Amino acid sequence: MSTLQRLRTRLGRSGASEGGVVELLAPPWILLVPMSLLLLVMFVGPMVAIVVFSFQTGNSIVATPLEWSIATYEEVVGGVISGEGVYGDVLVNTVAVSATTTALTLIVSYPAAYALARRIKRYKLVFLMLLIIPLFTSVNIRVFGWALFLVQNGVLDSIVGLFGIEEYASLMYQRSTIILGTTYVYLPFMLFPIYLSMLSIEDATIEAAEDLGASSYTLFRRILLPLSKPGIVIGSLFVFVLSLGANVEAEILGGGSIFTIASNIQYSFGYSQNWPLGSTQAVGLLLITVVSGIVILRTIDLREIAERGD
Amino acid sequence: MSTRTLSFGGRSSGWIWYGYVTLVALFLMIPLVSLVIASFYDGRFFSIVDYQFTLGWYNAALSSGSIRRAFTNTLFISVPVTVLSTIIGTAAALAYTRYEFPYRESFKLIALLPIFFPLILLGLGMSMWASQIGLGYGLVPSIIGELVWISPIVMFVVSITALGIDPNTEEAARDLGADTLTLYRRVLFPLVADGVVSGAIFAFVLSWNNYYIVSYLSGPQSTITTWIHGRMTQGFTPVVPAVASLIFYVSILLVVGAIVIEYRKDDTGE
Repeated sequence: MSTLQRLRTRLGRSGASEGGVVELLAPPWILLVPMSLLLLVMFVGPMVAIVVFSFQTGNSIVATPLEWSIATYEEVVGGVISGEGVYGDVLVNTVAVSATTTALTLIVSYPAAYALARRIKRYKLVFLMLLIIPLFTSVNIRVFGWALFLVQNGVLDSIVGLFGIEEYASLMYQRSTIILGTTYVYLPFMLFPIYLSMLSIEDATIEAAEDLGASSYTLFRRILLPLSKPGIVIGSLFVFVLSLGANVEAEILGGGSIFTIASNIQYSFGYSQNWPLGSTQAVGLLLITVVSGIVILRTIDLREIAERGD
Repeated sequence: MSTRTLSFGGRSSGWIWYGYVTLVALFLMIPLVSLVIASFYDGRFFSIVDYQFTLGWYNAALSSGSIRRAFTNTLFISVPVTVLSTIIGTAAALAYTRYEFPYRESFKLIALLPIFFPLILLGLGMSMWASQIGLGYGLVPSIIGELVWISPIVMFVVSITALGIDPNTEEAARDLGADTLTLYRRVLFPLVADGVVSGAIFAFVLSWNNYYIVSYLSGPQSTITTWIHGRMTQGFTPVVPAVASLIFYVSILLVVGAIVIEYRKDDTGE
């Protein structure tokens, strides 16, 4: 940290010596302009649009910010509180999907992250590639692949058929199918933050604990778990928030019969053309996202990631 | 680096960890393998025992006008997104990592925030916004929309490379008489080049695979992901696995390339 501060003061001095209006056309200012403009025009603007539309009435598609109303909030919040109608179901489905997904990805990822960071030396690059590749494949395609696997007369049918199992309950179009999809899609978002936090644990720390006679369990509880906590926090928030927005999974694997907040927002915009109602639900998602995003970004130390060299 | 390992269950049981990670990797590969298997299958009811191989669906995919148009549209979005997001993201990364300026941490916070947004939220906000400011829908709005999500990712990747450079580099260059232009051309750019290249590859692959943002902004234009989605929800044909597989093959080649570049850097650097 101290080298960073030294760097800053040095650069600060050399920057100041150039001086004047010219300074604005020189780094760092000129470098900041494109990103700032882009985000102002196409990120801040759209988020403001969501908030403004959430206070509009009826089926308006042109925003009139001065004529606002909280009718849609009454409808959504009232529905959620009373638990009746579609919003009660949406709340239950959404929380069930996102919380289960977060728990499952954590359980599956933690041992894998530990193994990758500390146990696996040979073929490590191959394993990392296999885990990264799905991340860069369209969510559409991956969910479609699951449908091909699970659907009647699909790949799974053909495999279990080899063992003589012909009749079993359909695995498609249930809440658990959506959870399978979201667990699959967001697993890497849990695995990699934990993996990075495991990498940062010094070998000497673990050796010292072993030399002092710590058992495997003590080592896990007192050393590994606390030191990998930032990864767990980042991963959990990441998975929870992203799975709140999982629409394709609900649509394809849930067959449109199970509504989560994402599919309900989509429905409000697409089918019933009710922008204010969709926006009100999106504001809920927006609040959770912004808070989680800030917590994640404050926990992540880019410098530390850079030093680990992975 | 020392490689002494933890001794959960003793040293001999290392294979358990390999086995477990292999299982996780297999799980992650299930849908992608299913897709590829289905794309080569010629028959109505799928069977592994009686597998009928064909290249017919790929032929059909490549000769269909609407699929080719969707591919062209996707490229028309992905190429500008790659170039622009690489410029925007690299500039922001250099500013953040190599300079001191007021509100530096806040800048990082806001600039990286879109990475953590569910894409449905970005997409639908942009969709309403585009209609309000008269941007409309089509390929250009899709390009601008994707930039918001992808430029921060490039910034993230390049920042990690740029933070690995010795903090004294700029001062040394200045002491040796380098002006700003020379400093960038001869010192900074070569040092971050690997990060920029892998950032650009990731940008292309993410744009190439993007569904949510283009589905909200592309309007009447169909891209390859919206085409697949349309076919998935209404009117499945066996061509769909072939088209999806084609996208997947391109992605896998590029991602492997990017990882190899990163890995080479780790080997030679340090």
